Parts: sequence; C-alpha cells; structure tokens
Amino acid sequence: MDEFQEILQDFLVEAFELVEKLDEDLVELEATPEDLELLNGIFRVAHTIKGASSFLNFDVLTHLTHHMEDVLNKARHGELIITPDVMDVVLESIDLMKTLLNIIRDTSSDAGVDVSECVARLDRISGGDGDVPAPVVAAPAVEVVVDEPVAEEAEPDYDNMSDDDVEAEIQRLLEQRQTEDKAKRAAKVAAGEEVLAPPPEPDEETSAQNAKESEPEKKPEPKAAPIKAPVPRASTNARSISDDEDLSSDAKAAAPAKRSNASVDQTIRVDVKRLDHLMNLIGELVLAKNRLIKINDDVEERYEGEEFLEELNQVVSIVSLVTTDLQIAVMKTRMLPIGKVFNKFPRMIRDLSRELNKKIELIIKGEETELDKSIVEEIGDPLVHIIRNSCDHGIETPEVRLANGKTETGTISLTAYNEGNQIVIQIDDDGKGLDADILKNKALEKGIISEKEADNMGEKEAFLLIMKPGFSTAASVTNVSGRGVGMDVVKTNIEKVNGIIDIDSETGVGSSVKLKIPLTLAIIQALLVGVQEEAYAIPLSSVLETVRISKDEIYTVESRSVMRLRDDVLSLVHIGDIFEVERILDSSEHAYVVVLGLGAQKLGLIVDSLVGQEEIVIKSLGEYLKGIKGIAGATIRGDGGVTLIVDVVALMEIAKNVKATSMISDQKSESAQSREKTKASDYTIMIVDDSKTDRMIMRKSLEATGMSLVEASDGLEALNILKQGDHHFDAMLIDIEMPRMDGYTLATEIKKYNRYKQMPLIAVTSRTGKSDRMRGVESGMVEYITKPYSADYLSSVVQRNVNFKSEFLS
Amino acid sequence: MSDKLKQVISRQNKQQQNESIDQSDDIVQLVGFIIGEEEYAVPILSIQEIIKPFTWTRVPQVPKYVMGVFNLRGAVIPLIDLRLKFGLSEKKHSDETRFIVMKDRDDVAGFVIDRLTMAIRIKKENIGPAPDTINGDNTTIDGVGKQEDRIITILKVNKLLERDF
Repeated sequence: MDEFQEILQDFLVEAFELVEKLDEDLVELEATPEDLELLNGIFRVAHTIKGASSFLNFDVLTHLTHHMEDVLNKARHGELIITPDVMDVVLESIDLMKTLLNIIRDTSSDAGVDVSECVARLDRISGGDGDVPAPVVAAPAVEVVVDEPVAEEAEPDYDNMSDDDVEAEIQRLLEQRQTEDKAKRAAKVAAGEEVLAPPPEPDEETSAQNAKESEPEKKPEPKAAPIKAPVPRASTNARSISDDEDLSSDAKAAAPAKRSNASVDQTIRVDVKRLDHLMNLIGELVLAKNRLIKINDDVEERYEGEEFLEELNQVVSIVSLVTTDLQIAVMKTRMLPIGKVFNKFPRMIRDLSRELNKKIELIIKGEETELDKSIVEEIGDPLVHIIRNSCDHGIETPEVRLANGKTETGTISLTAYNEGNQIVIQIDDDGKGLDADILKNKALEKGIISEKEADNMGEKEAFLLIMKPGFSTAASVTNVSGRGVGMDVVKTNIEKVNGIIDIDSETGVGSSVKLKIPLTLAIIQALLVGVQEEAYAIPLSSVLETVRISKDEIYTVESRSVMRLRDDVLSLVHIGDIFEVERILDSSEHAYVVVLGLGAQKLGLIVDSLVGQEEIVIKSLGEYLKGIKGIAGATIRGDGGVTLIVDVVALMEIAKNVKATSMISDQKSESAQSREKTKASDYTIMIVDDSKTDRMIMRKSLEATGMSLVEASDGLEALNILKQGDHHFDAMLIDIEMPRMDGYTLATEIKKYNRYKQMPLIAVTSRTGKSDRMRGVESGMVEYITKPYSADYLSSVVQRNVNFKSEFLS
Repeated sequence: MSDKLKQVISRQNKQQQNESIDQSDDIVQLVGFIIGEEEYAVPILSIQEIIKPFTWTRVPQVPKYVMGVFNLRGAVIPLIDLRLKFGLSEKKHSDETRFIVMKDRDDVAGFVIDRLTMAIRIKKENIGPAPDTINGDNTTIDGVGKQEDRIITILKVNKLLERDF
C-alpha cells in the first residue's frame, strides 16, 4: 500500500474513533456544563484532528476544527457557558466534521463541503463575548489555515528540491522528531507528579504556543501513535487538564508504560482480514471435526468391542471439544460491544427531542453485550429507525402525557442481553402504543392487505404491518418520519443477519420491539433435511418445530396445500417444488413438516426426512452462482459432500408463488414391461453376485435364451447401475450374502424407486432357512431360488417372471 | 509537502516493480482436451488442477450446463459441463472424463471435459485469430492454434468463468 495512504488510513481510523466518543461526551456535557474533565477530553479530540489534518493538508477540515477548538477552549476556561444553543452549533460542526471525514475516506480529499457558515457561527460564539480571549488563540483563527503550511518551521522550499533532497529532509525531520519525542517522554516522567494538581491558567499560553510551533512536527504522530500503542483513552481522561494538548497523543503512547499499568487493557489492533482468515480456518477445522466424528461412528459400528476404540473415542472427543472452544475463542475476538452502536443514540435522542418539542429520556442497558463485528455494522441503521419511530410516533408531547396522567418526560429504553445463542436488543417506550385496529384500517386503505387478510389477522401480525414498505400511520410526513420507509429498512436489515423481529404493545402504555439476532454469521446450527436423494440445511434459528404428518392431513385450499397445526392453519409448500427436485423415489405415506418462522410469518416446509441437527460452516457459492433465489450458501458435510443452505427469507417469498403439485400424484408408471419386445436381446437381466463363479453359472444358464445380461458384484454396484439408467432391466437375480450391501438391503432400496416398483427381483442364495425366505419376501423379492439349482430351473423362473415369449427361443 | 511525499513513495514503488523484469517468451503452453469431436485448449497457467470425476451437488434454478457445486479441499466450486455448454448432448462420465479446475483471478470453476489430450507448446505465430464468423466480444474463442496435422481451438478462460445467465 502507498505509504501516504497508510498514514491516511491510520488517521481516519483514529479520527472516527475519536468522533464517536465525542458525540456521547458532548451530550453529557450539555447536562453537566461545568464538567472540566469532559470538556478537556472533547477539546483534545478537536485538537488532535486539527493537528493531523493540517499535516495531511486537509485545509477545510483544519479550518473547521480550528474554530471548534476555539469555542471549546473558551468554554474550558469558563469564558463561555455551554447553552443548548451553543451546543447546537457545536454539534452541527461535529456533524460537518464527520461528513468531511467520510469524504476524505472516500476521495482522499476534503473538497466539496462548505463549512463557512458553520465556521462563521462558531466564530460568532467565540468572538461574541468581547476581547477577553487570549490573543494567541483568537488571532490566528483565520490565518492559520493559510499561514501554516508556508510558515511551518520556515523550511526550505520543498518544491524546488530534488527528490533526493526531499528524502534527506524527511529523514532529518524524522530523526529530529524522534529525539524530541524521547526528550518529551523523559520530561513527562518528571512532570508526572505535578500533573495531578491542574493549574489551568498558566497552561493556556504555553499550550497555544506549543500548538502552533509543533504543528509541522505532528507528522509522524498519527502514523506512529496508533500503531505503536493502542490508545488507552481511559487513561487520558483520567489525566488532568494540564497536559499540553500537543503532547496528548504523546502521552497516550507513553502512559500505559508508566502510569496505568493495572487499569488499562492490553490490546493490539488487528486487521479484520486476518481475523476473517482465522475464522475461515476454524471453519475448515469444524468441518474436519464433523468428518472425524462420522468416521468414528463408522469405525465403532464395525469394530464393536475392540479395545483401541476407547482410545479413539477419547481422542475424537478431545479434538471436538478443543475445536469448539477454539471456535468460540476466535468468535470472541471478532466481537464488539454493542455500545459501539448505542453510543450515537443519546445524541440522536437529544436532537430529536428538541426538534419534536418532546421530553425524552434514553436509558441504555447492557451496552457491554458483545456481537460479531459484521452484525454490529448491520444493526446500526435498523436501531436508528426504530428509535426515531418511537420518538415520533410513540412518545406523546408533554401536554398530552400530563393529560393522560403520565410523567412529562417520556422514556425510551434500549436494552441488550444474551439469550441462548442469540442476542436480544429490546427497544421499549412508554408512549401511546400501537393500536391493532388502526393499523389494520390503515393497511386496508393503502391496499397493503385485503379485507379478508385483515379479518384473519391477529394482534401481533397487525403490529408487524408497520414493517411493510409504504406503510405509515403518521398523519403528515415530518422530518423525522412518516415516509413509510424506515421500518422496511429495519425488516430487511434484520432479516439479512437472520434475525427475528417481535413487536409487543399495549395501547396507552407503550410498545416494545425485540430484535433477536444470532451471535455470529459464519458458523450456525442447522437442521438437515432430506428430499428424494438430496439434502438441504435449514438455519435452526428459523425453525420453530417439526411435525410428522401423514399424507391425508394435507388439505388443498385455493390450490395451495395447508394443514391444521393445533389451532392454526399452516400453509405448506414442498421443498421439492421450490428447488425443482426430480421425484425419482416414491414418497412414503408419511412426511415431515418443518415449521419455519420469520417474524410472525409461518410456513410449513414439507420434506421427506429429517437427517438431524449439525453445526455447519456457511460458505459462499461464489461469484458464478451468487444470487440463486432460496439458497443462502453451501456447507461441506462430514462425508465431504456439499449441502446447500436454505435462505428462509427468500424461501418464504418463493413459496407464495409456488403451485402445489399434488403430493399423492399417482405417477404414470411408464413400466418397462409395456415396451414392445421384438427379439430375445430386448430382455435385459441383471445378475448380482459377489462370486465370479456364481455369476458365471447364472450367465451360462441364461445365455441360451439370448437375453442381454449385465453383471454387478455387489449391492452398491447394482444400485449405481440402476441409477445410471443405461439399461432397462426386466428382472434381477440377486445373491443375498454380499459385501458392502447385501441382497435384502438392495431389494429394499430398489423398491423405493417408482420406475423399478414392478421389476421382479429373484433371490439366488444358499440360505434356505424359513426366516431368510420371509426376509426376502419382506424386502420385495418375488422368487427364491436356492443354490444349487439346475440351469433349466433358473432359466424357466426368469422366463416366467419377464413374460418371455417362447417364439424367441431358437 | 504531502504531494512531494507521495511522489517519492510512488517512485520507490516503481523501482521495485521494474526489478522483476518480465521475460516473455514467444512459446505458449496449452493443455489440450476433447469435447465431442473437437480438440480445445486453454493456457496451462489458467489451470489450477485436473481431477477425476467426483460427486457433486445439484443447484436449483440454473441452466442445464451448470451441473452444481463440488467440494475442492474445502472450497465450494461450481461445476460446468462443457458438452452441454457447447450445445452437445449429455454423455455419461467415463474413465477418461476429467474435471479441469480453471481460475482467473478470484474466479474458479470446474469444467467437465470428455478426455485430456496433451500439454501443447505452440509458437505464438502459429496462433491465428478466431474465424471472422464468430468474432465479436462475446465469443469464448481466443484463437486457433495450428499444428502439423490438426487445429486446436483455444478458449478464453475469463469468458468461460463468466456467468452468462
């Protein structure tokens, strides 16, 4: 990476972190304007950003922050009282600063934003109370921007230097800076004790001077500080005002070493890509573990009672235990406290309550609850919309509240907590609540639901109407909400992270929105289901329950399948209809219904079998296959095969448009027998026996008839030949004792296929016991020939079973 | 000043790059294979590996020539049947059937071919452009290689790996 870019990146990372903290502090500051500690913290942020941006030549940003710094500096020295009006301007300037930072991030330049108006207002505030301010601070207010780049250290004219000279110059500056740093650090240690008794006044002058002087020297700092040492913000806050601001980043770097060893967490900054890579590797490990467990099961079955089994068992369970722990540990490194998102809300509530003329208090609980980074990034927007909604529609105006016997100030509480494998974020307000009837009427009016749907709609479903796009109960569109877009965003984003939304409300008392979000996206619990010969994984978080039903419990209403589930009617869809699964196997009398839930929506998914619950690692299908509706990705199973993961959200959508194909379709059996046979070789017989001699004997017995013969040496091979469908078999001769798959199992498997239902299976075996014969019949054999047999007998049995026409016998 | 800094840095970067001098050769190495009756080839460097047929998983809602996905040592990779893609009829996999895993930057996919022929070294001057009739940006044909007794169609790997549905 370009080194300049690298410096810029570090600057941006640091700046965004600082700004985030700033918002919170400022709101707090408004409540306690005399809190010097806070003021200083805020001032330092403005200053740090100013310093770094001037080094990086972001003139507009420097210009703006400089004026912010002025105002804050005044406040810091008690020359200015922070009134809400002052605060509005300051907050506005911070917003501008954020915009600028965003622009810098995107374009690497800070052009295109007009800050002059805001700067003028800032100036008015700081200039407004006369000439009290120290001239050092106020005077350069405007020139600074223009002056500094030229004036710094009265350096030689860089533009006229040769490249080598520039490099030498850079080297020189760096060295100079390093020595200075060392000196400062040494001084710091000495100064450390005095710092505790802050003398704010004398500090001012030196600080201002230092600030000016040290501007050009700032250069190595943004680069060095964040890398060398994490910024232990706590310690700087704890420190007192007396620090020269230009030393503050210095202090940050040096502090952990000498002061707050105990109180500061040791952290390192790691590129997210590395963590992602680590997570991928863990994913591989989980897959390998699943595979190992499967192999262990197989081995156990095969070598039952052997001694080495116990040892193997132990190893397998240790590996699986450690893998699970490792997975959790790595997951934790990706976790961020949700406070990162919550932080911006105090400010937002403040702005909103001023704008809406309401009194609103925000209570935040559980901000230390941790969530995967990728999810934290997704839930910011939804929360903004929910809270805006609560402020605008939920909380009443003070007058109304008083009239209703409530306290003047409304309360919105934002709570996060763990619940099993999920995080729950709950947003409660004590406003007027939702009225199901009003919602329904509104939705009817807008044509979002039909009359009939409205009648059948329960309270909870009605609440969820507010999530529909284009839905709004607000009488008029305000700045805050009413366009009917916001809550739709909530729904989309939450569903994107496999979350569930739950809304509860009581008219007049308040409402509560619960967002249930899985802890992580990469590795999930899934229910594996089978349909025909395929398997699909369904995220367990969307599965409410599974039910076993028989075919006649399925009713058809308006060409859609439904079933009765306790007191509800559940609409059904066959997974095979959604994923275009070919129906080769005959479906049995019973089926399983997986009840999927998404918000208050429910859908029954009919599957042939339930395979079980498994921990799966989500892998993308890649660029080539992305965007297949209904498929969220793929996972690799214990046996090395790939299983597709169902995208429940999309599936619900698709299900609406799928016509149910009748479950009990009597397939037109295009039976093999009905084909016209014109010569002896049109008859095809498969011989399945593991002994080559036996196969030979059978072949010899049948060769005389002229039939085509195909051989297989065991059940599995036979089944594969059948599946390939290269031949049309009229009958099969099956030995019972075979390795890999025996004759009984083979017969049972064959009978699962519709097209082979009618095919005669003839057992040829030396097992003569009555129970053997019984099993043969049970598994679908029509004849039972015991070895040894005469060639004529075998031939005649086969001929009888395939309706061999005697005229073919030559 | 920061502009200067940028210049210096970018100049240094350039120097580093120049050190690894590109030694281009006028011999092209290809791997040839048969689909249907024709012989095709792709540059050897675009081939990640060649493997024997393997189980794969069907993926719904895709054209018929996309057979599905398979597991290549932990990565899920699409599998494309070139017979079907080139408009030929389906054919059962035989002992000679292979999956050729090709890559182009981050795109990877497996392609089913009827059988491999050989690694081919061919001079650049013996490669002609694709016939005019099938010229255009959309063709998957990169050029036609001429050897003593045969003609080999050279395919564009990036086109093959491009999603076209």
